[in-house]
Amino acid sequence: MRDVIVIGAGLSGLMSALVLAEAGYRPLVLARGYGRTHWLGGTIDVLPQADLRQGLIRVIEEQAQHPYARIGLSDMEAALKRFRSLMVAARYPYVGGLERNVWLPTALGALRPTALLPATMAAGDMRLGGELLIAGFHELRDFFPRLIAANLQAQGVDARGLYLTLPHGRRRREYTPRTFAELFEQRDFREDVGRQLGYARGMATRIGLPAVLGLEAPLQVVQDLQQLSGAQVFEIPTLPPSIPGMRLVSIFERAITAAGGRMQIGSAVVRAEHGGDRLDALYSEAAAREQRHEARGFVLATGGIAGGGIQTDYQGGVWDTALGLRLQSPAGRAEWFQSGFLQELGHPIFEAGITTNARFQPINCMGEVIFANVVVAGSALAGRDGQQQRNSSGLALCSGWYAAHGLSGMLAA
Amino acid sequence: MQHITTDVLVIGGGATGLGAVRDLAMRGIRAMLVEKGDLTHGTTGRYHGLLHSGGRYVISDPQSARECAHENVVLRRIMPSYIEDTGGLFVTTPWDDADYGEQFVAACQETGVAVEELAVDAALRREPALNPKISRAFEVADAAADSFFAAYGIAHAARQYGATVLNYHYVVDMVRKGERVVAAIVEDLRSGEIKRIEAGYILNAAGAWAGKIAALAGVSVTVRPGKGTMIAMNHRMVNTVINRCKYPHDGDIVVPIHTVAVIGTTDVHVADPDVFGVTADEVTFLLEEGEKLIPGFRRYRALRAWAGVRPLYKDREVSSDRAISRAFKLLRHDERDGVGGMLSIVGGKWTTYRLMAEQAVDVIAQELGVTRPCRTHEEVIPGNEEGKHFWLGHNLSCVETEGSYGELICECELITREQVIDAIVAGGAANIDDIRRSTRLGMGPCQGGFCAYRAAALWDEIRHTQPAGSGARTILDQAPAVPVGVALLHHFLQARWKGLRPIMWGEQVRQASLDHLIYHDLLGIDLLPAELTHRPDRASRLVTEHPAIATEEHAV
Ligand SMILES: Cc1cc2nc3c(=O)[nH]c(=O)nc-3n(C[C@H](O)[C@H](O)[C@H](O)COP(=O)(O)OP(=O)(O)OC[C@H]3O[C@@H](n4cnc5c(N)ncnc54)[C@H](O)[C@@H]3O)c2cc1C
Ligand SMILES: Cc1cc2nc3c(=O)[nH]c(=O)nc-3n(C[C@H](O)[C@H](O)[C@H](O)COP(=O)(O)OP(=O)(O)OC[C@H]3O[C@@H](n4cnc5c(N)ncnc54)[C@H](O)[C@@H]3O)c2cc1C
Repeated sequence: MRDVIVIGAGLSGLMSALVLAEAGYRPLVLARGYGRTHWLGGTIDVLPQADLRQGLIRVIEEQAQHPYARIGLSDMEAALKRFRSLMVAARYPYVGGLERNVWLPTALGALRPTALLPATMAAGDMRLGGELLIAGFHELRDFFPRLIAANLQAQGVDARGLYLTLPHGRRRREYTPRTFAELFEQRDFREDVGRQLGYARGMATRIGLPAVLGLEAPLQVVQDLQQLSGAQVFEIPTLPPSIPGMRLVSIFERAITAAGGRMQIGSAVVRAEHGGDRLDALYSEAAAREQRHEARGFVLATGGIAGGGIQTDYQGGVWDTALGLRLQSPAGRAEWFQSGFLQELGHPIFEAGITTNARFQPINCMGEVIFANVVVAGSALAGRDGQQQRNSSGLALCSGWYAAHGLSGMLAA
Repeated sequence: MQHITTDVLVIGGGATGLGAVRDLAMRGIRAMLVEKGDLTHGTTGRYHGLLHSGGRYVISDPQSARECAHENVVLRRIMPSYIEDTGGLFVTTPWDDADYGEQFVAACQETGVAVEELAVDAALRREPALNPKISRAFEVADAAADSFFAAYGIAHAARQYGATVLNYHYVVDMVRKGERVVAAIVEDLRSGEIKRIEAGYILNAAGAWAGKIAALAGVSVTVRPGKGTMIAMNHRMVNTVINRCKYPHDGDIVVPIHTVAVIGTTDVHVADPDVFGVTADEVTFLLEEGEKLIPGFRRYRALRAWAGVRPLYKDREVSSDRAISRAFKLLRHDERDGVGGMLSIVGGKWTTYRLMAEQAVDVIAQELGVTRPCRTHEEVIPGNEEGKHFWLGHNLSCVETEGSYGELICECELITREQVIDAIVAGGAANIDDIRRSTRLGMGPCQGGFCAYRAAALWDEIRHTQPAGSGARTILDQAPAVPVGVALLHHFLQARWKGLRPIMWGEQVRQASLDHLIYHDLLGIDLLPAELTHRPDRASRLVTEHPAIATEEHAV
């Protein structure tokens, strides 16, 4: 028997599993698939305010039910510290922190705030001046340098977009971000691209490229390209699948396994077995085969609606797919959405989550703990106000860290 | 104001108007068509997708049944590539009157609708997902038809004969000289220019909007707007058109078309047709009716809902809307109202568009003294010469033989970069929704999640490399001060969202949340300044909002 089970392999599940493994447990990570990591750009977004610390303090003071308020600033710092040291050890360092946000260009040329970013994106910081060159490949359908440059320009940023030529003999049948990540791992490919960038650079001091600069040693790729082009080079996240997200996951996976944990991806948890207020076992399903898993403690990190951890039906039902908990949600389907897809307020249903107490244990509408040996983390949590606050990755890391520490304490007691 | 003259002006770029302009041009008559939106923007782009065998109407409306049966054969000959030869079944479920089957067969024979009874087990072998409790099954010549591709094909054919087909040209007024309609005042929505089109004759083929056009000309035509809702399910549970064998009612047909199965429809009189939506009740109703034909229907993923408005012409005092004939009416305003120079054609089906056009053009030709007969039932529409029906595997096999995986812009519907560029440059699309209509981009499960970004970017790139006036016309033809790609993207996502909201549950909610993550969290579209995401003024009128429809109240 594994002592603890983490359901979900998004950032919150991975962080929990790492904390538990390092605390001496032998966590099993069960997940239907990977999480939001593969959709988002690999940055850690905490809150959108320029003065991040002030913004955090306000959320903590004014929204007592907000997960950040429950975690508290010092534990958030501790969680991010662990994250940063993990990334440094894997030679994929992150920069930034909880003081202030950095603005980075997106693949649409918008400027997006983030708290922590991989060093491979650092030169995208909009506080740095100078002319920008955005370069991509025709073959990559998920990154359009001219669109990015034109939109940056419309916002007063000096930017130019151009296409590079795919180095000779590199024709593939299909080009995904992954194909390019593999190509960039080849030295001669990098050299060819670096030289092209050198010719095309002109007055540009910084060059933005799609975030496909290798899976294993991206920092090396960035350094090589900088040397060859003579400009600073940075990555801009593309449409999914996200290469920076994949890097994160594989670093976590390695660390979790090294610390005694185990990953089982492709297994959806379909139901649970419990006695009173303790969860005893889970059933997972893979390739139509059911498997029973017993454990002493559980982390529910199933990612909410986007992660598939919360399902809905046409009669207005909303429930958690792993344990079958019924959730509170806006009255009828009509209330789930705004009339505008990109409306400022966001859609109420996307905020659906599991209500918990301050230790992130699930509670019912009377405020009673449903399962004493279960904690919830990440976007499965209720009350996170994620669309307004652009906080999904920051919240995932911090709540994963915090929930796992809590569970570890409870199991030890 | 620009003055244009033509022999005949056709108003309305739906199937009927397009059929008419082709027919006119083939008879050597100088003809022009104006459509206020994109082609198929009206009911033609919001129909059920069924090439009727006529079976549905054999008892309720025999005249319409005869017309459908006749045209079914003609359209399969002249435009097979827009038609998938699915065949159709009428099945008696436990909820249907067991005696209807006998009457149905007799009425089919009377109206010339080919029908053959199929043993129940044979029907179930052919369509295993059908309700096993059906008691009878009849085979007819129903088929699935793509009204978008057909419209572009007919327009192309008309242009080859010298006709002018203009989309985004809005008729804002009609000009009369005494007792004769002589011209239309049209606004070119792209340039904002007002044009006066003088015509020897005007054909009002504005469908549900025909009452409005007539009113502008000072004559009264009453069109009853009857809204019908449909839902596309992300799976073809059946490969044959399935009808309930009963007196026509709501939610009794499932049409497999392209990669989806569409259930429909409802029939709701709309009091204020400008603001109508698909209601939750309609959705629930359709799913439950679907369940009767195909057990488990509700559990499939619903992709999208939309509604169209029936252009039913209300002749005299008929009590209920269902009692209004589905057959079409040709209104000669000279005889009817004493106003010459204009003809209105209302009612009918998509299936009978060609026949409607033929009869309208017969009258006009006579008025103009042209004696050349109609040939639209004989001449194949260009691109259909091989005589082959549409085949679902077509796109995939193209992509496979050309090895163009890497060129796919819309992976759900297998639309390549080349097709998108073609729709922008040669097709003259005014926005991404226009590209969708001409290619099916964004119609699959992700409803534009990935392809909308790509299409918008391609748009901007083409605009940067092609000077204005070279064919690649956008909403604003004046060289834009800021890139328009994001505004088009915004518009398209919103256009898709409207039809998604009514069917948002289960996997579709998850899909929408992922799309939202992409555009909001990853791309930060909401962080761009408003002048990049929204086009002010005229451009906003080009969005695919449901336009005004003439109601009884509005009709003079
Ligand atoms: C719910 C529903 C389901 C249906 N299903 C089927 C089916 O399965 N099979 C079938 O055969 N038939 C079906 N029909 C019927 C069929 O769709 C219509 O009969 C047919 O599409 C009508 O075509 P039309 O060209 O006459 O009208 P429309 O397609 O509505 O064309 C009229 C055009 O006029 C334009 N217009 C209006 N005002 C102006 C103006 N001022 N200036 C310029 N242009 C203007 C409009 O924008 C519009 O594009 C269905 C109808 C409905 C409502
Ligand atoms: C033959 C055929 C096959 C099709 N196959 C597919 C398919 O495979 N996949 C797919 O995605 N779609 C499919 N469609 C549907 C198509 O994508 C469009 O939904 C359809 O053409 C209607 O256009 P629209 O969505 O732009 O309508 P819109 O005008 O955008 O509206 C969608 C619906 O939203 C509602 N609505 C509009 N405005 C308002 C308002 N102001 N307030 C409240 N409600 C409003 C209306 O009920 C309307 O019908 C098919 C259509 C046809 C005719």
